[in-house]
Amino acid sequence: MPLFNLANCLALALLLLLIGAFGVFRRRSLILILLSVEVMLNGVNLALVAFNYFRWGDSESGHYLYMLSIGVAGVEAAVGLSMVLVLFRNYRDITRERISHLGETEEA
Amino acid sequence: MPPLLIDILFAAAAIGVLVLSLAVVLVKNPVRATLLLIASFLPVALLYIMMQAPFVGILQILVYGGAIMMLFTFVIMMINPAPKGGEIPGEAAKPFGPVRMIPWLLLLIAAGFTIILPVYRAAKTLAPVAVSKPGFGSLASLADLLFKDPMNNPFTVSFELISFLILVGIIAALNFSRRRGATGKSDAVV
Repeated sequence: MPLFNLANCLALALLLLLIGAFGVFRRRSLILILLSVEVMLNGVNLALVAFNYFRWGDSESGHYLYMLSIGVAGVEAAVGLSMVLVLFRNYRDITRERISHLGETEEA
Repeated sequence: MPPLLIDILFAAAAIGVLVLSLAVVLVKNPVRATLLLIASFLPVALLYIMMQAPFVGILQILVYGGAIMMLFTFVIMMINPAPKGGEIPGEAAKPFGPVRMIPWLLLLIAAGFTIILPVYRAAKTLAPVAVSKPGFGSLASLADLLFKDPMNNPFTVSFELISFLILVGIIAALNFSRRRGATGKSDAVV
């Protein structure tokens, strides 16, 4: 049984997804949360290309879906990071605890 | 390529991706985390090339590693969240401690035994479908898929629609970054 098969590629994609989710829960800075989301997206893209190579024969739909996915990832990064910049300009702080109050002070 | 060499390459790339991604999640310095994420894209690109997707591998490095990650690096360096010692203040305090992680771990183990393990076993028994198309995964082949017979090709329309998505993203980003008072009104409401 060769090591390079669909099951192992999917397991690798799942592990990447879990690592990214762990980062989303663990990180406090909004930028690093976005970075963990990129790790999760990386795992999903790996699963797409693996399915394409092992199961879909001559179709290249997985590659197309990958291109769609990085388009979405680019837009998500641009919008998310500009939101982070606005939050930083308004509050001088981009930790999760500060943002979860959304303008209210700690005492409120 | 001999199958043993492919297996060794796959194992090395997989371990590299996992270690680098864990480092992305665990290091304190945000600039280092971004650079580690770019580094973790290199073994992923190797995996794509092994899966006969050379153009996707190139996209991964050029577009993902080169463009999107540079955006992150720019923003991190712009707002400079590391005033002392390269650490974000308070980043060391763990909001997600080991005790609160136990139910999630239990859920994960349950999911592993009920869903993930059967799927893994089933995927292991599936025979791979051989690729016979010459130039599979190359730029010319993908261009054929996307733009051949553009009047009846559903891929063409959806691919062009990505540009509208990017346009919407640009407008949203510009709207967010308008400075208060630049237009006379207060904006940038978050």
